[in-house]
Amino acid sequence: MSSPLTRFCLGAGVVLALLQVPFAQGREPYDDFYCTTCHGAEGRGNVGVNAPRLAGMEPWYLKRQLQKFRDGLRGTHEGDVEGRAMRPMAVKLTDERIDAVIDWVGHWPMVSAPSTLGGDTEAGARWYRTCSACHGEQAQGRLELKAPALAGQNDWYLLTQLRNFSLGYRGQHPEDAEGAAMRAATAALPDEQAMIDVITYINSLDPAVSYAGRDE
Amino acid sequence: MKSTVSRRDFLQALGATMGAGALIAAGSGLGMMPAPAAATTIDHGHLGRSKRRIAVLGSGISGLVAAFELQRAGHEVTVVEASHRPGGRVFTVRHGDLIDEIGNRQYCDFDDEPHLYFNAGAARIPSTHLNILRYCRELGVELEMFINESKTAWIQDDNLLGGKPVRNGEYTANLRGFMAELFAKSLTQAELDAPITEGETESLMAVIRNFGDLDEDLIYRGSVRAGYASGGFLEHGSPREAIGLHELLRSPFARQVLQADEGETGPILMQPVGGMDRIVKGFVDQLGDRIRYRAAVQAVMMKSDGVDVTYEQGGKQHQLSVDYVFNCIPTHLLTGLDNNFSAGYLQALGHIRRGEAYKGAFQAKTRFWEQEDIYGGITWVNAPIKQIWYPTHGIHRRKGIILAAYDFGHGMHFTNLTQAQRVEDMLAQGEKVHANYRQQVEKGVTIAWHRMNHMLGCAARWTDSYRDLNADEAHLMDTLIAPEGGRHFLIGDQVSRHVAWQESAVLSAHRALATFSRQLEMAA
Repeated sequence: MSSPLTRFCLGAGVVLALLQVPFAQGREPYDDFYCTTCHGAEGRGNVGVNAPRLAGMEPWYLKRQLQKFRDGLRGTHEGDVEGRAMRPMAVKLTDERIDAVIDWVGHWPMVSAPSTLGGDTEAGARWYRTCSACHGEQAQGRLELKAPALAGQNDWYLLTQLRNFSLGYRGQHPEDAEGAAMRAATAALPDEQAMIDVITYINSLDPAVSYAGRDE
Repeated sequence: MKSTVSRRDFLQALGATMGAGALIAAGSGLGMMPAPAAATTIDHGHLGRSKRRIAVLGSGISGLVAAFELQRAGHEVTVVEASHRPGGRVFTVRHGDLIDEIGNRQYCDFDDEPHLYFNAGAARIPSTHLNILRYCRELGVELEMFINESKTAWIQDDNLLGGKPVRNGEYTANLRGFMAELFAKSLTQAELDAPITEGETESLMAVIRNFGDLDEDLIYRGSVRAGYASGGFLEHGSPREAIGLHELLRSPFARQVLQADEGETGPILMQPVGGMDRIVKGFVDQLGDRIRYRAAVQAVMMKSDGVDVTYEQGGKQHQLSVDYVFNCIPTHLLTGLDNNFSAGYLQALGHIRRGEAYKGAFQAKTRFWEQEDIYGGITWVNAPIKQIWYPTHGIHRRKGIILAAYDFGHGMHFTNLTQAQRVEDMLAQGEKVHANYRQQVEKGVTIAWHRMNHMLGCAARWTDSYRDLNADEAHLMDTLIAPEGGRHFLIGDQVSRHVAWQESAVLSAHRALATFSRQLEMAA
C-alpha cells in the first residue's frame, strides 16, 4: 500500500529517530568543553554552585590556574571545598586540551558580575593600597607579576579566596609561588570585615579598565 | 551470655549509644510517608482550549509529564535537554552507556544482557505513588516487585560482634526481644497514666510477648526468628544464642533497622521490568522529535508577551520564542543562566541547596548472594557505602548487578575520591560483608550526583533535615510555585515538600498544568 514517497519519508524518519534516540547502540561522544555547566552561560559565574565568573578573566591566568588544579598546586587542601570540586575537572587535561579549553573560555565577552557585598569603601581603599602593588591601581591586574584583574569578579568568590589564602587553604603548596605571595599578602588584612571592605572597594572600580588592559 | 535486662541496664546502654556518633541517614525520607493522593485528573479540553507555543526546559520526569500532557492537549511543545540523554535523575546504566560525570566520565562495561542494569537514580516506586503508577499503566511500562528488605541480608558494623556480619533477621529478632522484655517489665510495674482494664492489660501483654517472642516468664531467651544455628527441617532446629542487648546497642543500626521496612520504603514497592528508564522511554516515544538533546539553555528572558529561550546546540546559538515555559532545570543551575527574573524569584531560586547522593555498582560474576539465601533487599553497612542492594530481578541467572554503595545524605566522601579510590573503597567495605567479594565483582561504576554534568546535585535541599518548611521558607516555596511573570512555571521534585520521588515530580507538573489551565480559562 505504501508509495515510494511514503517509504522514503518513513525511512528518513527512522534515520532521524536513530540519530536522536538516546537508547541507540554505540558510545556517546564527549569533549572537555563543559565549563558552562558550573560557571554558567558563557562563563558569567553561578553563585548557585559557587562557581566564579570566567568570562573576561585573563587567558594566561585561567591557564595557570588550570595547570595548578591539574598538578595539585591548588584544590587539594581539605578546607578548600570549591577548589576540591574544581580539581577533578582539570586532572585529566593534557597541555593541549588546556590550550583548547582556554582558547574557548578566554574569548567569552566580559560581563561584570553584580555586587553583593556592602562593606566600607573608604576603609577598603586604605586596605587596597597593599594590593595595588601587584594587582594595579584599578585592580586591572599585572601580567609581569602574575596578578590577575579583580575588578568585575564575583565578590563572593573574591571573599572565599581571601579567606582560603588567609587560612592556608590556598597558596600552601611549595611550588605555588604566586599563591604563597598572595597568602603572605593577606596577613595585612586583620579580619573578615577588612576583607569585605577591600572587596567592596574593588567593586567600586571600573572593570572595563581591567578588561581593556588585559594581556592576551 | 546474659539474656535478661534490667530497666537501668537498658537506659544506661541506650544513653551510651545515643552519644556515640551521628545518626546514620536511613535512606530517602524513611518513615515519612505522605497520605496517598488521589490520582490527578487532567482536563485536556480545558488545558488545550487555545493553542500556545511552549518550551519545556529539561527532560526530567516533571518535564516529560508536562510536555506529554501539553502536547496531548494540542499545544506546540519543544523540549530542550542539555544532556545527551533524557530522564534527569531517572537514569538506568547498562552496557555501553556514558556516565557523564564532570571530571570522571565512564562508560559502563556491564555485559550486554537485559537484566544487567543499574538504576543509578530513582529505583523504587511505592504502591501509594498513584500518579507515576498511572503513567506506567498508560505508557505500557511493565512493572515487577521490588524487595527493599530481606531478613537474610546482612548488617555489618565494625563496632558490632567484632565486625562480623549478622543477618538482619537475627539482629532484629534479638532487638525486638529485648525491647519486648523491657516493655513487659514496665507494664507489670508501671502505674499507667491511662486507665486500662485487666482484660486490656492481658491483651497488651500478649501483643508484647508476641512482638518479642518472650517466654512464659516474659523473658527473652532467644528466638527461632533469628534463624537456627543448625537443623530445622529434618533435624530438630537448634536455636542461635541470643546476642546481648549491650552488644546490639553498639551499632547505630539499632535505631534504624526496624524502620527500613516501614512507611514509604515498606511493601509494596515496584520497579519497571528492564530498568527505571522504561518510564522515560515511554514518554520519549510519545514525544518523538519534540525533544532536542545536547541543547544547553543559556538564557531565559521574560517579555510582556512571551519568553525568549536561548540555547546552545552543536556550537551554535538557537533562539526559541514561546508563549510559556515549563522549567525543571535544577535551581542551582538556573541561577547561572542569563535571565531577567525578578529579585524575589532569584532570591528564592538561590535559597535551595543541592543534594550530594552517591551510588555505586558492580557486575557480579556469579550471583553469590543467592548462595547466602539472599534474593533481594538491603544489607546495611556502618561505613561510607552504607548499603548493598541485591537485585530482585534476574534470579538464578549467572550474573547480576549489585548496588555496592548508596549514601543518600552525605555522598561527598565518595564524590571527593577518584574513580579508582571509589572502587577500592566499595571493595574494601563490601568484603567485610561477603567473603571473596573482591574476586566476585567487576566493572564498577559510580555516580556522584553532585558532579553529574547538567545536574550538579541530587534532590534539592530546602532544609537541613526533614522538618517542614518554616514560614520564610514556605514563602520562598510559594514564590517559586507561582509562575514568574505568569509565563515561567518552575517544576520538578525541587518544588515539592517531598523531594527525591518521581511522584513529587509528577505532581509538581500537574500543579503547574492546573494553574496554566486556569490562566487560559481566565484569558478566554
